Amino acid sequence: MNNKNSNGLKGLGPLGWLLQVITGVFLIFFLGIHLYLANIDFGHPIRFFTAVLENLHNGYWLAFYIVFTYIVLYHGLNGVRGILYDRFDSQKSRALIKYSLSVLYVVTAIYGTLLALAVSRIAIP
Amino acid sequence: MVKRRNEHGDEYYDNYNVPADKASTVLEALLYIKENIDQTLSFRYSCRMEICGSCGMEINGRPRMACSTQLASLHSDIIKISPLPHYNVIKDLVVDFDPFFDKYKKVKPYIIRDDDGNYSAEIPQTPEQFNEFKGYAQCIKCGLCMAACPVVGTDENYLGPAPLTALFRYNIDNRDQGIMYRIDIANSDDGTSRCHFAGECTEACPKDVRPSFAIQKLRVQGLKYELKNIMGGKK
Amino acid sequence: MNKTGIAGWFNIKDKGTGYFAFAFQRFSGLVIVIYLYMHLIFLSSLLDGRTTYNSLVQNITYGPFDIFIVMDMLLALVIFYHGANGIRLALNEFGIGLKHHKLFFYAYESISMVLLVLFLYYAYLFLGGH
Repeated sequence: MNNKNSNGLKGLGPLGWLLQVITGVFLIFFLGIHLYLANIDFGHPIRFFTAVLENLHNGYWLAFYIVFTYIVLYHGLNGVRGILYDRFDSQKSRALIKYSLSVLYVVTAIYGTLLALAVSRIAIP
Repeated sequence: MVKRRNEHGDEYYDNYNVPADKASTVLEALLYIKENIDQTLSFRYSCRMEICGSCGMEINGRPRMACSTQLASLHSDIIKISPLPHYNVIKDLVVDFDPFFDKYKKVKPYIIRDDDGNYSAEIPQTPEQFNEFKGYAQCIKCGLCMAACPVVGTDENYLGPAPLTALFRYNIDNRDQGIMYRIDIANSDDGTSRCHFAGECTEACPKDVRPSFAIQKLRVQGLKYELKNIMGGKK
Repeated sequence: MNKTGIAGWFNIKDKGTGYFAFAFQRFSGLVIVIYLYMHLIFLSSLLDGRTTYNSLVQNITYGPFDIFIVMDMLLALVIFYHGANGIRLALNEFGIGLKHHKLFFYAYESISMVLLVLFLYYAYLFLGGH
């Protein structure tokens, strides 16, 4: 057995799994609405520039998309963490994976927020 | 076809023709080879009746017990036999079980009591309490589940199906008081969080122990324990 | 240890339903994460103004790069698969329906695929029926 094993190292454990489940359930709701709005909306899909801007000028939708970004990012990157943990089993590599993905989460979340805010401030043509 | 591995670590397949009737098992076929064709072929076996857990091997792509796999059930004239995956091969079909047993020991698979075993009266157990863990206690430690699990194949520290099932089996035994010594092991990064319910361990288990079911129940038990701790409950 | 490696995760030959579900959940999850970042990069072009953004949408929807529509359909497939199997997994992992996990898998995926067909039909309709 690998002597650099991580047995005994306490990770997020069952709480990480619970959060993955909770964010997954939220995503069914968020993604359902997003797919409907962006692709169907019975005749008026939010596809082109003006429609996107109009949508984001509404404060509720802006908040919706920002929260959506945080949730989908958590679910996605925590999923990637799980997959990488299955492959890299030493304590050192797992710490590196955890910190790298945490940084990636923060950077992407900030970028997503700033992008949504910036777009919401563009004047509707 | 039998996969061989010699003392130099060279791996190759040898082909043998074996007579078979409708009741012949893979173990009988291997014994026929050993007795009549090639005495150098190595494999492990003992009870011949799916009790000892010694003769696990990969037969036509799946981990199975050689003693309880009938040749006829494989529906093929060509049978490919290899050592169990996810173990180091010692010779031919004989693999090293030490890492598996080491993991088994880690989960403290025995009754732990506050009284250190110094009890004066019998500890009662109702049939209902016994039935709760009876299925999980059927494990013969054949290690097929470890060979079937895709995560054991990439993460050598993952405790794996049989050890986690044993951990759960003792946690739900009413005579046991040692859950606090085991639950952190289950909740660690090498415990239940590595299981993604592929369910192949349950498919492979010859004793219908259903390790994948035990692990999901253990996951919930671990979560409850963790939440209780966060809410200020005592360990 | 005689590891099978990452390739072993996707070796679904001779394996059960649960194994296929596991392998494809993993694959679809990775595809969705990659798409998520591509989506974010694409949306960044909103900052370049109406002409740029609209011409990008026009190109990938109505041509010359309307092959992206096929990619979108495949993406919808993995999303619907991932969601349905995700719900099934969450229930099973909570100990609900463990004994019927295969039935759960087929039932959830069937419902999901019907919803996918409906989604694609309406999306196609309002794309202009091209």
